[in-house]
Amino acid sequence: MFPKLDPILHSELRLAVMSILAGVDSAEFSYIKKQTGATSGNLSVQLDKLSAAGYISVEKGFKGKVPCTTCKITQAGLAAFENYVNSLKEYLI
Amino acid sequence: MENNIENKEMTAQQSLGIITEMMNNSRKSILQDSGKHFILWGVLLIVVSIVNYELWHITGNPAWNCLWFAMPAIGFPVVRILERKNSDVPQSYLNRQIGAIWLAYCIFALTISIIAMLAVPMPITLVIVIAFGFAECISGILLKNWAIIISGFILGVGGAVAAAMLFSAEQLLIFTVGGIILVATGLIVKSQYK
Repeated sequence: MFPKLDPILHSELRLAVMSILAGVDSAEFSYIKKQTGATSGNLSVQLDKLSAAGYISVEKGFKGKVPCTTCKITQAGLAAFENYVNSLKEYLI
Repeated sequence: MENNIENKEMTAQQSLGIITEMMNNSRKSILQDSGKHFILWGVLLIVVSIVNYELWHITGNPAWNCLWFAMPAIGFPVVRILERKNSDVPQSYLNRQIGAIWLAYCIFALTISIIAMLAVPMPITLVIVIAFGFAECISGILLKNWAIIISGFILGVGGAVAAAMLFSAEQLLIFTVGGIILVATGLIVKSQYK
């Protein structure tokens, strides 16, 4: 029987965000937007969902005088991402 | 896959595709961005070594070697300004390691220079150029780029031989070559991860 895939991660944009954040210390909103090609509104909604699940932390601050949102994957997020990838392997083998 | 992701459901195959693509694209952006640091320090090294060479050559006074301390004094603030102004590119494990290698090299070179100037005279160019080549070589290994590995090896070994054969101001031109190699490394990194 196949393992159930984490519904929070099993969505294109959220998975893309987690894939980016898994490889970096932290990333700014503008960088994630550029990498995923998502709209600001949609990306904000998905970041909120990941944050509510405890998979990422979102910090709002300023870069000079410009507002800057920085996202960072949490330990729980990293564990969930690893579990998700391991579950995927069972679907593919 | 188009670079425009919505929040749709997908198959396991598609999931794996997204993970691979996002990780690869992000890695490329980060490494491409690190190329500018090699170019910046390379240009600075070329300029300082030539100015230093000319002044030492014209005046015959080796005290102009103090100009080397202008490199970190100019370079580090410029790096900070560049990072603050232009870039939203994040730090990854790889570019953090490359940065750490060059920072360690910089501290090593400055400390050896100060000791050689103030306490124990030694063939300073020889020591610094070997460490320079070694840092370049290690950067190439981390970036998995043979051109950078080989240029680091040639710089370290060739520079050491040249340092033993050349005297006074002429030795400084070894660092001009080193600067050219750094700029070339930056351009290689930028094109490799385009």
